[in-house]
Amino acid sequence: MLADNVTDCHVLVVGSGGAGCRAAVEAAKYGDVILLSRSVTGKGGCTTMAEGGYNAVLNPKDSCSSHFEDTIRGGAYLNDRELVKILVEEAPERFADLMNWGAVFDLSCDCDGFEGTHPAQRHFGGQKFNRTCYSGDRTGHEIMATLMEKVRGGDIRIIQEVTVIDLLTETLSGGEVRVCGAVGLDRDGNMIVLRCDAVVLATGGTGQIYDVCTNCATGNGQGYAMAYRAGAELIDMEMVQFHPTGAVYPYDARGRLITEAVRGEGGYLKNSRGERFMAKYDPERMELSTRDVVARSIATEIAEGRGTDKGGVYLDVTHLGAAVIEERLPMMLAQLLNFGVDIRKEPMEVAPTAHHMMGGLRITPECRTTIKGLFACGEVTGGIHGANRLGGNSLADTQVFGKRAGEFAGKSVMHRALMNSPAIVGQLAAEELRFNRFLNGSDSIAEIKERLRKTMWENVGIFRTAEELETALAEIEELSEMTPKADSPAVLAECCVLEDMLTVAALVVRGALLREESRGAHVRKDIVQDWTPETSPYGHTYQSIYREGIEKAGAEDISAEGAGKGGNVQ
Amino acid sequence: MSGKDKVKVGEKMLSVRISRFNPADQSAPKIKEYSVKVHEGARVLDVLKAVRDTLDPTLLFRHCCGAGQCGSCALKVNGEPRLACMTEAADGMLLEPLDLPVIRDLVTDIGKYLKEMPYLVPACEECAGSDGSDASSSGSCSCACSCSFAMPSKEETAEMKPLRDCIECLCCVSVCPAVKVTDFAGPTYMRQEMRLALDPRDCDKDRIIGITEKGLFNCTTCQACVLACPKSIKIPGKAIEKLRILANREGLTLPRHKEVAGLVKTTGRSVQPLPDRKGLIESIDEVLEPYGDVKGEVGFFTGCLYDLRMQSTALDAIEVLRRNGIRIITPKEQVCCGSPLIRTGQTAIVPELMKKNIDCFVKHGIKTVMTVCAGCGSTLKNDYDTPFEVKDINEILTAIDIEKPEKIGLKIAYHDPCHLLRGQGIREQPRRLLRLITDDFVEMPSECCGSGGGVKSGNPAEAEAIGKLRGEEIKESGCDIVATSCPFCEIHVGSVTDKPVRNINTLLVEGYRKKDAKNAENASVKNAPQEQ
Repeated sequence: MLADNVTDCHVLVVGSGGAGCRAAVEAAKYGDVILLSRSVTGKGGCTTMAEGGYNAVLNPKDSCSSHFEDTIRGGAYLNDRELVKILVEEAPERFADLMNWGAVFDLSCDCDGFEGTHPAQRHFGGQKFNRTCYSGDRTGHEIMATLMEKVRGGDIRIIQEVTVIDLLTETLSGGEVRVCGAVGLDRDGNMIVLRCDAVVLATGGTGQIYDVCTNCATGNGQGYAMAYRAGAELIDMEMVQFHPTGAVYPYDARGRLITEAVRGEGGYLKNSRGERFMAKYDPERMELSTRDVVARSIATEIAEGRGTDKGGVYLDVTHLGAAVIEERLPMMLAQLLNFGVDIRKEPMEVAPTAHHMMGGLRITPECRTTIKGLFACGEVTGGIHGANRLGGNSLADTQVFGKRAGEFAGKSVMHRALMNSPAIVGQLAAEELRFNRFLNGSDSIAEIKERLRKTMWENVGIFRTAEELETALAEIEELSEMTPKADSPAVLAECCVLEDMLTVAALVVRGALLREESRGAHVRKDIVQDWTPETSPYGHTYQSIYREGIEKAGAEDISAEGAGKGGNVQ
Repeated sequence: MSGKDKVKVGEKMLSVRISRFNPADQSAPKIKEYSVKVHEGARVLDVLKAVRDTLDPTLLFRHCCGAGQCGSCALKVNGEPRLACMTEAADGMLLEPLDLPVIRDLVTDIGKYLKEMPYLVPACEECAGSDGSDASSSGSCSCACSCSFAMPSKEETAEMKPLRDCIECLCCVSVCPAVKVTDFAGPTYMRQEMRLALDPRDCDKDRIIGITEKGLFNCTTCQACVLACPKSIKIPGKAIEKLRILANREGLTLPRHKEVAGLVKTTGRSVQPLPDRKGLIESIDEVLEPYGDVKGEVGFFTGCLYDLRMQSTALDAIEVLRRNGIRIITPKEQVCCGSPLIRTGQTAIVPELMKKNIDCFVKHGIKTVMTVCAGCGSTLKNDYDTPFEVKDINEILTAIDIEKPEKIGLKIAYHDPCHLLRGQGIREQPRRLLRLITDDFVEMPSECCGSGGGVKSGNPAEAEAIGKLRGEEIKESGCDIVATSCPFCEIHVGSVTDKPVRNINTLLVEGYRKKDAKNAENASVKNAPQEQ
């Protein structure tokens, strides 16, 4: 199986969610762009599932420094300040782009601070101002619809339903490694080679390594694994956000997202005794505390026996009245009706679910990773959200950093790799060997995946100890020794994805072992610490094929003026 | 069969039939049966995953978000388009790909279609300005280009939002009869065009001309797309008919449709009277009493075809009603319901027609207005705001215990009129009536005949092409006769099949006559000896 399918372009964007599409649109201003995705273009990724909203400072009474502070505080002071500064300052501009391109957001005419009609903004957890713009409870879908119009109307080549399995690299004369393309498999298992001047990784997160998650089927973390193999450095991989409110039943729907907008609109969390238990954990912010706090509170209620029979807690909106529910939460209403629950009349049952990866590729403000030629944006990057992401910040992240990644990748110097260079020939030969291993494999993909997801859920969840983490690591190592079986070439891609999942899971566990403190979404029950996140002696954890460790760094001034001084980007 | 694990609490075994197809080594799809272990409450998607994970890793199906938002996993469940991730799995279900070009197994080629979807042409950057955050900002261009730019208002946003719910699953395209045989870009394409036409930010000045070239007038408004849509987007009413109004404003209405509108304007009717025949309304009394006791009273909205063209079918309906105790009041002032104008985007005089029609029934103090034409019924129910109740004759007749006719020994198939089945949700009532007439009733797929939405009058060749498909289904059903309940269908289906096509009421009358003749014969047999 030699690759006879070779395509060249200036910028290759991998992933067609919100960040990937935005990057492709921007990069197309500088040269020919290929937007490649595992799914049908625009249907992959989690953006389309994002319900609640997009944080942007629009109201004259709001301020970027307030958004900055909320983000840093919410992120337990682990965020890269420079990246956060960019996020909050550029989110309104990127929102304006979407509006100019045809996005249909909800409007309002009666918010204090605005004159006339303006985008409606709702309250989201952990923020001092109503700054979350929305389109009902299908905000991400609206953004994707807008971006897909822009992609279809632009000069962008689309390659869909191709699974990228590795980045191609070449070694420059000075010994530096440069990413120069990617290799993928099509639906039938044919190898496809793409050569380019720059790759933008926009492959999203990795919720699928957990048994219970909100992610779409392509949330396997392939981007982390491929970039890691190519030599890029990842930070804070232990920082996995558990969304407090995932569905509890039916079995196969476990983890499906119940949007934060339900609490934003005034929903109550109650335990089996009918108590609004958030009063115990965060009396001031109650249900609209940050996600890490709410998720831990729910997990504690359940663990201490105050959960429902089905293993969740109640999330109740019945007091809002049918009219409000129908107008503000139509999708939630429809989805739960589909599962036999009428949220106008009865409470939902919810429990935490793996949701978002705060950690990821270390990037500069220009979205450069630590290897030449490789850019990244969206959930696959780390540093922006620190140890806990605020709801509404990730849609903004996709647009702000999607645009930046597209722009700086687009500005890359053109110097095309040679197909017959020994390095590339060698890499393709290695892929062939990998395929042969899978075609002669003997272990079930589904079983390996299930064991991985179970061990991650049981041992690397909301509360962690070194012992459990070691257990998970041992299991992952055992699973990595197995050889998934490809019954036909069409299944080879699945085998590659599975190996990537194992790689990412190991990165998460090792990150969790490296971070000997509780901070944000990462809670080590076996560690006693005498510092708060603000005074923590630690910075990012980092991992690459060259080195791993944890940075020693103090928390800094969180005011906007302090931004840019404390970034840990190399 | 995955027998290796025992079925635990909360799990169950489920059998499923799945269409398997690999064009590389198969000429046609094959249905394979699987028995698989799933959890209680499993969706169709979970069943597919279980089959792939435990029985056959080569099974190909598409899925992504698992939450009904990405539109990847649409397929046919027992013949109906559904999202696999949102549909509860049932034992024995049949899973097939959508009726679109199949790539392999359950995966269809949707990428090709989606690539052609229309998109917003934004104002140039100078016109748009940099601060779109102020949604009220608007302005016209100061630069050399000709675009204008304004943010949508709250009202425009409210109109666009329902059209924005689309997840591009292509269920609608897969069921559209016009897409199958004519040059029609398809329901969701038109939905997207309407969403763009509503948007003040769109700067494509030639959008409407382009749409008419994409088959805007080929949609029969059969509503199959609405039923297929997981988000229930009303594409014919909210997009097709609205786009036709915009086309009308640009002078792009089809010549034949203009003629119809002219006729309605001058005569109040959408068809011309036949020279040798009096109109129904003209020839009957305004009030017709039933033959026996009065069991009910209806105002009869005849519609244009029953008034001026198909009087005998209308008289059959009247006969059935009178025989079953219904008083019929037929106001003389009634005019065309406006459907031929609403469906073709010529709505200027529609309010006037509506007022005339409502007033004349109100004047008679009528509480229930009855339609016999499916098109009129759908229009009165869905487009009008009436102070009286509107019911189709099938609803009236099945609400009372009607006299049983003598059965006619023929195999009868029923053609569901789109505007009755999907426009008014009437499915069972006509079937109940037909079962009174025959013991040999056969079902056919409920497909459009091609006549509606102004297609027969405006684009006869397209109507014929869609009708031809219907003709084949009729042939396959093996029926002797086709029954229906709409004058447009009666005429058009009659032109695409060699089987006789009859209104249900015509068949009821036939059954009553047969019964009367039999009774008379019995009576004469009984009476005969006395006379001798």
